[in-house]
Amino acid sequence: MKTDDLIAALAADATPRPGPGTRLNQCLSLSLLVSLVAVIALWRLRPDLADALASPVVLKTLLPAVLAVAALWLARGLSRPDAQARAQMALIAVLIGGVVIAFTVNLVNAGFDGLVAALNNQYLLVCFVSVPALAAVPLAASMWAMKSGAPANARLAGGAAGLLSGAAGAAVFSLHCPVDSLLFLLPAYGAAILVVVGVGAFLGPRVLRW
Amino acid sequence: MTSSAEPSWEDLMRAANRGDQRCYAQLLQAITPVVRGIVRARGGALGPEGCEDVVQDVLLTIHLKRQSWREDAPFRPWLYAVTRHKVVDAFRARGRRIDLSVDDFAEVLAAPADPDPFEAQDMDRVINELDPRAAQIVRAIGIDGDSAADTGARLGMTEGAVRVALHRALKSIAQLRERMIE
Repeated sequence: MKTDDLIAALAADATPRPGPGTRLNQCLSLSLLVSLVAVIALWRLRPDLADALASPVVLKTLLPAVLAVAALWLARGLSRPDAQARAQMALIAVLIGGVVIAFTVNLVNAGFDGLVAALNNQYLLVCFVSVPALAAVPLAASMWAMKSGAPANARLAGGAAGLLSGAAGAAVFSLHCPVDSLLFLLPAYGAAILVVVGVGAFLGPRVLRW
Repeated sequence: MTSSAEPSWEDLMRAANRGDQRCYAQLLQAITPVVRGIVRARGGALGPEGCEDVVQDVLLTIHLKRQSWREDAPFRPWLYAVTRHKVVDAFRARGRRIDLSVDDFAEVLAAPADPDPFEAQDMDRVINELDPRAAQIVRAIGIDGDSAADTGARLGMTEGAVRVALHRALKSIAQLRERMIE
């Protein structure tokens, strides 16, 4: 087949199709709904959810949600072959930096024993299992959406999809989780999100290759 | 490369994204010599036919990934990024490692097709692998220059079904080419 013939065949297939960004938005809202239904039906919401959301504890949900939105912006950027995504990276670095500083201040105040006491909690394991579980459908959905893109760096793009889904999973899980201690939340949620980032970075080169 | 009278590549691609086949064909015709120039500058050892195979790989990828270009961004950086990625990939699949920097692209001269354009080899092998109806559709529209409507009338399919089948066939072609070469 000559190249001109191929061009004719390609041009005949000019039907408009949604780009990776649009697909990400659509898939994500649907898959988040699945996770929300799952946490309500299988995990149960914490009984005092209304009170918690009206207090500073709301940050437990809000912070992962903000991180998820920032990661969505990053994933949309990294789906393009000519992506730079510096602004997105900077925003996420600032968010994570802020969290680490808050954690360090609390750690200094409570001491190492305080950290051990906070983490010596049955919810640590629940958190490690639940966040990745609630992130699974969003991760699959965002990977599928990003497959229509052309990421310059598939591992990084997969990691961004993991961060996006992990943070979203943590935000959803926080509606169930009754533990509000900062010394518990930051390491437990942080590590659980990192697990999902790792899964995304592992899958990236395999799924997002083009 | 484009005079003020001609629409820019961005304009053509935006129109293509709205489904304008003529603008899309015009854009593909315009960028092919640029892609060919890059491939030939790097892959002389593959021979003209081998180079044309790589050019077709790149065109298929541009086609299937065109929605990852953001309409408010300049088109060239996107084109160069896709081309660089696919050319390196195509050469790797053919057992040759090359380094290619986007910075070199500006210096590469566009290469028009030769007077008697080469039949690229890979494409025919891959089309034979498709199911017969898909192969028929790709040949009718590509080689014979039929419209989707005519092809559909001949095969007893609606125009829409032909378009869907064509899109699926082009996706399979891209996948089969990867597998066949490796």
